[in-house]
Amino acid sequence: MVRKGILQRYNHLLYIGPHLILFAIFGVIPLFFGAYISFTTWDLTGTPQWVGLSNYKEILFNVDSTFHTEFFSSMKNTFMFVVMTVPLLIIFPLSIALALNTKVKGETLFQSIFYMPGLFSISAVAIIWSVVFNKRIGLVNALFHNDVNWISTQPYAWLVIIIVTVWWTIGGNMIIYRSALNGIDTNMYEAAAIDGSNSINTFFKITLPSIKFQLLYTTVMTTLASFNVYGQPKMLTAGGPSGTTSVVMMTIRDLAFGQGKSIAGIASAMAMIFGSIMVIISIFQFILMSKDNTK
Amino acid sequence: MVNNKFTFRRILAYIFLIALVIIWIVPLAFGILTSFKSDTEIANMGFRLLPINWTLSQYINIFVGNTSTPIVRWFFNSVIISTLHTVFTLIVVSLASYGYTRMEFKGRNTIFWILMCASMFPSVVNIIPQYKIVDTFGWINTIWALVIPGLGGVTNIFLVRQFMLGIPKEYDESAKIDGASDFYIYYKIIVPLIKPVLTVVALFAFTGSWNDFLWPTIVMTDVERMPITAGLSFLQGQYGGFQYIGQLMASATFAIIPTFIIFLFAQKYFLESLSLNSGVKG
Repeated sequence: MVRKGILQRYNHLLYIGPHLILFAIFGVIPLFFGAYISFTTWDLTGTPQWVGLSNYKEILFNVDSTFHTEFFSSMKNTFMFVVMTVPLLIIFPLSIALALNTKVKGETLFQSIFYMPGLFSISAVAIIWSVVFNKRIGLVNALFHNDVNWISTQPYAWLVIIIVTVWWTIGGNMIIYRSALNGIDTNMYEAAAIDGSNSINTFFKITLPSIKFQLLYTTVMTTLASFNVYGQPKMLTAGGPSGTTSVVMMTIRDLAFGQGKSIAGIASAMAMIFGSIMVIISIFQFILMSKDNTK
Repeated sequence: MVNNKFTFRRILAYIFLIALVIIWIVPLAFGILTSFKSDTEIANMGFRLLPINWTLSQYINIFVGNTSTPIVRWFFNSVIISTLHTVFTLIVVSLASYGYTRMEFKGRNTIFWILMCASMFPSVVNIIPQYKIVDTFGWINTIWALVIPGLGGVTNIFLVRQFMLGIPKEYDESAKIDGASDFYIYYKIIVPLIKPVLTVVALFAFTGSWNDFLWPTIVMTDVERMPITAGLSFLQGQYGGFQYIGQLMASATFAIIPTFIIFLFAQKYFLESLSLNSGVKG
């Protein structure tokens, strides 16, 4: 083999280099910098002052601190959102995919209609839905003949957020389940039918196990996406009524970039705690759901 | 017998799907229809699905006149930002994927898997430091704050790499023997072959950038420079009052037009995109 020239030896850097540089600047450095900031007091402009674990102690254990109360209440709200939406974001798309799989006419049209909202920005979506739930001229109150003030009373405020979330985000999972269901070997269904298996039995014994990997993947991804919820409560309820729909991303954003002096140190510590919880939960889900495989 | 059962099932499926379609379309239609009502009609007539007198006054209001908004400006800001972001994404992603699939170098796979693992960390941790970095570059309130940081993502490279691995090596090896340079092979042979996956990447990059919400509201504080999503959020804060419902509906309708048109023309790419990364999904 001829000895490569120095230019040729590092030729590959011309190709992977641009991305590696961008990845380092906007992916790796922020991760370490963010971890560092969480141990400091910082206002985004001056020099960060090292304070050790005190941000974490303040957030997690100082019951008198407003940071403690804000973090835990927004954490509770975020969990509530996750617990309420994730099952719906699995069940709805799966039911739609199953219905489409009965070879209905116009399946592309159906798919398009369910997929399309996901391509609209949350600010436009929320503005449109705000008139649907408007107390005086809204579609929903007119339909059910009541005059509920949807966005400023609970549990209606949550209901609005959940309905809009399901409407906005089922498309991706629907497509994944569609292609998963199409991949199941039809011979298995025929064999089950010959054995006299009824449709419920077939669903739990053949269909679900066959798309197990996709269910696992979508559950983990949907859970992570739901933890990151921000746009829906921000635009629909602005965290109200009385902070009951205020989520962690809102708290972190307001502390770091809200009005008044930035409290980026505390916000970073919250982000670290919150990020770790997300990682732990997705690992846990992964273990739990893939264990089932051994059955 | 079997046929009957299938028909019954299919009827159930139709009922379910049509009911859902109504729930999916009617609210959207109601919002859009409201943008064609006059202010007095919205204020005085209570609920009505269709406008009594169709009017474009709300659209005229947001574009010109006393209550006009910089919405056209925001729209073009978004067009520029999303287009640049898409073009850069295609260049960065296709180059990197070429490197990871077609070039031999030490630690190639190790680097790639480090990238994959590092990208697993939740992005919430990055927001505050990213702001500082963008600020250090002097990019706050410039389009670069929205165009560049997203280019460091890894998912698209994974997608394109998977696709490229499926292209037989014979295609480029024969060119190499003929003395073609790497760049020639990349540009003349590989890029044309990966057009389907690049189309998908482009569509998701464009719509993703168009709809990005949290980040633009942090780095774009100058109202004139905002993209349309941040602009709408600002508008909602300013015009939240009842008397502006018509204007808000017109603005939201205007904002969804581009992604709607893209979807109309490219729905097959969106709906079939996942068959491209079947490698990811077992």
